[in-house]
Amino acid sequence: MNMREPQRHNVVSQSLAQIGASGLFLLTLLAAIPRSMRYFRETVRQLWFVGAMSLTIIMVCGLFVGMVLMLQLYHVLSIFGGTSASGMVVALSVYRELGPVVTALLFAGRAGTAVTAEIGLMRATDQIDAMEMMAVDPIAYVATPRFLAGLIAMPLLCCVFCAMAVFGGHLVGVTWLGIDNGTFWSNMTAVVDVRTDIVNGVLLKSLAFGAVVSLIAVFQGFTTPPTSEGVAYATTRTVVASSIAILALDFVLTAFLM
Amino acid sequence: MSQQRSSYAVGTGLFIVLGFAALAYLATQTSSVANVRQGDSYTVDAQFTNIGQLKERAPVKIAGVRVGQVQSITLQPGHDVADVKLSIDKNYNAIPQDSVATIFTSGLLGDQYVGIEYGSAKQAVAAGGTLARTKSTQPLEEMLGKFFGAGGVVDNVGGSYVVKADFSNVGSLSAGAPVKMAGVVIGNVVSVHADPVKLNAQVVLAIDKRYNAIPDDSAAAVFTSGLIGTQYVAIQPGGSPDVLKDGDEMILTQSAMQLEDLIGKFLVNGSSDKKDAGDGKSDTPAGKH
Amino acid sequence: MTQPVRPPPDDPHLVRIRGLTTVLNGKVIFDALDMDIPRGRITAIMGPSGTGKTTLLKHITGQMRADAGEIRVDGEDVSRLSREQLYKLREGIGYLFQNSALLTDFDVFENVAFPLRQHTKLPEVLIRNLVLLKLQAVGLRGAARLMPNELSGGMARRVALARAIVFDPMLILYDEPFVGLDPVALNQVLKLIRTLNQTLGITSVLVAHELEAVKQVADHVFLIANGKVVAQGDPKTIANDGSAWTRQFFGGEADGPVPFQYPAGDYAQALGFAGASK
Repeated sequence: MNMREPQRHNVVSQSLAQIGASGLFLLTLLAAIPRSMRYFRETVRQLWFVGAMSLTIIMVCGLFVGMVLMLQLYHVLSIFGGTSASGMVVALSVYRELGPVVTALLFAGRAGTAVTAEIGLMRATDQIDAMEMMAVDPIAYVATPRFLAGLIAMPLLCCVFCAMAVFGGHLVGVTWLGIDNGTFWSNMTAVVDVRTDIVNGVLLKSLAFGAVVSLIAVFQGFTTPPTSEGVAYATTRTVVASSIAILALDFVLTAFLM
Repeated sequence: MSQQRSSYAVGTGLFIVLGFAALAYLATQTSSVANVRQGDSYTVDAQFTNIGQLKERAPVKIAGVRVGQVQSITLQPGHDVADVKLSIDKNYNAIPQDSVATIFTSGLLGDQYVGIEYGSAKQAVAAGGTLARTKSTQPLEEMLGKFFGAGGVVDNVGGSYVVKADFSNVGSLSAGAPVKMAGVVIGNVVSVHADPVKLNAQVVLAIDKRYNAIPDDSAAAVFTSGLIGTQYVAIQPGGSPDVLKDGDEMILTQSAMQLEDLIGKFLVNGSSDKKDAGDGKSDTPAGKH
Repeated sequence: MTQPVRPPPDDPHLVRIRGLTTVLNGKVIFDALDMDIPRGRITAIMGPSGTGKTTLLKHITGQMRADAGEIRVDGEDVSRLSREQLYKLREGIGYLFQNSALLTDFDVFENVAFPLRQHTKLPEVLIRNLVLLKLQAVGLRGAARLMPNELSGGMARRVALARAIVFDPMLILYDEPFVGLDPVALNQVLKLIRTLNQTLGITSVLVAHELEAVKQVADHVFLIANGKVVAQGDPKTIANDGSAWTRQFFGGEADGPVPFQYPAGDYAQALGFAGASK
């Protein structure tokens, strides 16, 4: 990669340059998808590392988010005597907002940084060059499988998160705070709509976030200077850029979908 | 190395399965396609004229104890009653056939549930049977209306026809008061005027067009709902083959009972004429021993 | 697409470089460099640090594009090749990286098998045998199941060599193969380089600093400085070449044509004494 970019010192133009470069990188990734079908096993392997290994943190955090949400809502709603609606509010807020956003942030922190660091290290130890030497396209072998893995893993992780959050809400609300079990479920099922909340909220949003986080992680890995210092900065940038992108995209998607 | 590969594949497969299971759980158990499957329960039908805020999966309670839940709420096409299916735990299989299913509200702004009050029939309602006696919710407006005396008046969007009736005394009847037949509201009082010529009260009634088979020799009477309630016009059907049409006048009328007349009847022991009051037996019933 | 001009197989030079010029970040790396690398022989490329020896190797494999000039590998101009053609060419070139560049997620066996799995559809048995063959050649068949982080530097380099020769390439490029090796490992690598060349006739290009080691294996040496070839010849006699470059480089002088002082402004002025009056 003979990039002879002029140095940019302005933060704004630097960020814009990064956004543009990652957009172009996305096109490269997508163009490499047919070629990366050869490396399907790699994609499966990455799905394991990126998805299944994030399960623990996602499940635990989902549980706690549901529990805390129920606690907070109960105390506020009991002012109006509306505690029977707390199950519904937990479900709606998790499906529409907290589920996709928190899952994406956790994913960026755990899997995004791991991917960036791994790719950066591979570049630093010439493994990417070695692949080029062995006539294996590094984008098709390294980048696209990780991107696709992130894309597939995010919605699944988000569903698990939401399920754990509802379970946590139920645990605190029904078992501890004494909301009636039937009321909890009846209010929730009456209001939660499959199309608006689950498909638009959980699935679509998490898919979009997964794409963004994976793109940023892979891009940062491939474009940092291949030194240990460069890799350290790259992982930080992955988290920061992912977080900003997730929340900005969240606003845009909410405006469009809901 | 192929063992490692297959363990990745297995682990990844498990992860994907878990994700889809979570999705399925969310979609079916927490959303509006929630499927109610209770272990060991039987279904009983009940029909309500108004279900209020009752939702599916709301509890069904007897004496405050949860015995089941609402399985489905549907509106029968062509009828204006809601058909509610209750799923009741098999343990409670001795619900008398004439029990009353009522929609209660827990708390002032709380959720609604179905309460069953036992009747006295010897036979229990069977699986798939129907609880015939039901009490629907009291919509807020009706309750407020009862407080403010305008309850039960229907906005007759479907159209109504107008008949006149003259009364010698309308009591406290006013415009907007309901017109009832057999206790069911069929219209309302449009206006109450004093006729300067005939020296009585002319009342104009608007009756819902649906009730267009009222015989034209029916009587209109001013009744009071309850002991100290609002007054309304009751129509007591006659036997004429002709029916009331728009603009007709109802000949037979019965005026309102005045409070003073009522008290007078007690005090004066018979007629409302005070002239016969001097019988000496003017002791009030309160003085009875 | 131009038909590559294939010289007759008895062209004595496998790699011909003519007029290579490259400028990176304003610095001239190569300035009309000419070089011919003889076929079937071991050639060493030496020079001061930072003169772009590794960059030269990358030009030969097509990883970097020159600004001007032409590099022909076995008659094909590398800069004109499309990506598919370049990949085809690279299957005939083995590259040994300075830090071995083994894939960290795979064990030794899988690392050597990687090119086979990627480019051929050979049955598993055949792949196994090929890999074990290559590992035996470098003396590491017993280490087949170790992970790269369990290998010493020398062992890792030998595994990387096994991987580089898995397709029996026509050309192997060694990027600093002797750096950081203890004498035993160094001799092992030397032996392998010599054996591969003698038994398989593989053209070998070494980029190295260690003259003593180079003397033991190389048939020809190029000395590169300032973007040009400043000396070439038989390694045993080149030290006595007589030119200022060879005297400094092989004689171990600290200052000479390659200056000791990095270019800087006037010293007196920097220290604050205004205007050197001479």
